[in-house]
Amino acid sequence: MLEIQRISKSFYRKSALDDVSLIINEGEIFGLLGPNGAGKTTLIRIINRILEQDSGQIRINGELMTDRHLDSIGYLPEERGLYKTMTVEDHALFLGRLRGLSKKDVSVQLEHWLTKFEINDWRKKRIEELSKGMAQKVQFICTVLHDPKLLILDEPLSGFDPVNVELIKQELTEMKANGKTIILSTHNMKSVDEICDRAALIHQSKKIMEGKVADLQEAHKKGEYAVKFRGSMIAFVNALWTGFELIDKEILGDDRFIARLKMRGGNNFEDLLKALIGQVRIEAAWEVLPSMQDIFIELVSERKEALDA
Amino acid sequence: MRNTCLIALRELKERVGSRSFLFMSIAGPVLILIVSYLLFAYGGEGKQHWNILIADPTGIMDNKIMAHEDKAVSYSFADGYIEMEEFRDAKQFNSFDAMVEINEKILSNKTAFVFFRVKPSVRMQTRVQFQIERRIEEVMVKRFTKLSLRDFRKIKQPLNVAFRNINDPFDEASDLRGWVGLFFGTIIFVFIFLFGMTILRSISREKSNRIVEVLLATVRPNQLLGGKIIGIGLAAFLQFAVWMIIVGAGLYYLRETLFPDMLNASNFDIVQLTKDAQTNADQLFTSKEYNEFVNLVFERIQFVNMTGFFLLFFIGGYLFYGSLFASIGSTSGSESDGQQFVLPIIFMLTLALYAGYYTLQNPAAELTSWFHYLPFTSPVVVMVRLSQGYEPGQGYQIWLSLLILLVSAALLLSFAGRLYKNGILQFGHRLRLATLLKWVRKS
Repeated sequence: MLEIQRISKSFYRKSALDDVSLIINEGEIFGLLGPNGAGKTTLIRIINRILEQDSGQIRINGELMTDRHLDSIGYLPEERGLYKTMTVEDHALFLGRLRGLSKKDVSVQLEHWLTKFEINDWRKKRIEELSKGMAQKVQFICTVLHDPKLLILDEPLSGFDPVNVELIKQELTEMKANGKTIILSTHNMKSVDEICDRAALIHQSKKIMEGKVADLQEAHKKGEYAVKFRGSMIAFVNALWTGFELIDKEILGDDRFIARLKMRGGNNFEDLLKALIGQVRIEAAWEVLPSMQDIFIELVSERKEALDA
Repeated sequence: MRNTCLIALRELKERVGSRSFLFMSIAGPVLILIVSYLLFAYGGEGKQHWNILIADPTGIMDNKIMAHEDKAVSYSFADGYIEMEEFRDAKQFNSFDAMVEINEKILSNKTAFVFFRVKPSVRMQTRVQFQIERRIEEVMVKRFTKLSLRDFRKIKQPLNVAFRNINDPFDEASDLRGWVGLFFGTIIFVFIFLFGMTILRSISREKSNRIVEVLLATVRPNQLLGGKIIGIGLAAFLQFAVWMIIVGAGLYYLRETLFPDMLNASNFDIVQLTKDAQTNADQLFTSKEYNEFVNLVFERIQFVNMTGFFLLFFIGGYLFYGSLFASIGSTSGSESDGQQFVLPIIFMLTLALYAGYYTLQNPAAELTSWFHYLPFTSPVVVMVRLSQGYEPGQGYQIWLSLLILLVSAALLLSFAGRLYKNGILQFGHRLRLATLLKWVRKS
């Protein structure tokens, strides 16, 4: 779907992107991660042709990207705004028509989305009458109004309450199921864990990681396991003996715990279960995979240490 | 182009839908009408009767000016040359308030001088000018054409009647037409300032609320800037049209109702002055056109000419100054930063207004020529010069000035486009000249 090939961009000798290449496949949700100032927004602006790269190229469905491809992109920037004095309907009409829709198409699409979000009575409201969360819903609707094939969302969940965060996540998942490609730039790592298929990490203008979320978690796992049990913590620790190392525990109640541990001496998950059965009542046990947040912090810290050294 | 139109339409709709637009559309012309009313209601106050000597050594006027006596003005004729100093100092002329000099060149250069002791009111100036002008027209029709007086008036060149203070003969500010031009120039100034500031505010607002990034993902910066300037310019035109309609209707209403005495055409019944013009008498008498108020508004101001050039110079001036306002809006890091940088533009606009006044006072000065061609002063100055009248053969000057203005505006637009492209997504910085230069150099 989208091939970003060796993109570099500098602002007055300061490098914002250095030889960054990415492939975003059709029908996937791609997480674009990185600390503030890493170059994510610059990359997104280059994809949207707001900025021009110094070198490299972008291909969309194999074609070199030009202005005519912009109508197939929906872009929600991180710091987004609306014209405060316009009504929701006028706003949608203006942005929809800029994206190439006819008046009639805008009206049909707007009706669809307002109904879907159950906000039909906002149609004639002026933007300044809406709360921040309401305005963000309108911004989201304006972004998807022209039914773009590629959605680029910069921090789409910021500012929403938990209910609406779930609503947007659900919407993105549904769009993905309908074949849309979504690039999600976010600091909300939980959402990356939950909805992204693949992700890339950009740090100090360079790409330092790219892959499937599941693969990345697998690659960065540390052989940790968690056991949720009912019983005595002393009995639990005694059962571990020297074959396992208790790293951490979480007290859930008087006699309920979640313990995190590592294997020792070639023991595996089965050995662990065998050792515990009969000593405590096991409610659940699983392999602990690192969250994208853990991976993010680990990689950024490693990079910083390497640069410091 | 489609996107530029959509942006222009949005801007137009937003401006026209705002309360301030509605307020200005009504308040502006109402203010003009009030001033007009006061000018004509009280402008005639002062010396109520004027005793005027017409020095007509070649007998052009044939010792006649009005068929019917005007109660406000008495004319006497002298058939010799009278120098201004002689008129000022000689005892036998003390009883005259003013002297009109009709020299032999008047029929070719269409310029007459009125030397006064105490400045006449606008009303009196208009009255005297009107009466002289009408008589000269009669003479010209009689001597040079086979046209009827009415037809001649359709094609005539206006007579330039310059009022001079005998104690300050170089004070040329009393040329009423010049003031009319300055009025038009001031309107240009007001519109450019109001709508230039609108461009600045619109860009700053889009920048501060960040919607500009959404727009730039769809339209090119030049389309966005172009659409904005066109849309706001159209709003300015619309407002100007509303002003013209309201002012026109208001003046008509004033003529018909509040100043019915001015419709007493007998005061100005010059048609009986010559037998040649007799055939037009009925038409002229009933046309209700000939009173000083109507004369000033509907005849002395050459609306078609003035309005045509007003629009051309407004477009040029708006694009010139609009580019500067747009540059500031797109490059400043915050709205307050932008407002600081407006000061130099306000200074330039104020200079333009001063230049208009200077031109009124010193139409022949060298500095006036500079002001006439400098793009940031020309929109006001040309209006003044236009109303004062260009010398025959100098009409090209107005087109040259317009060309300079449009070329400068085009250059500034390209300059503004570069700044807009490079500065519109920069936030929260302090604006420095070095940064501006970097952005201009960057394509």
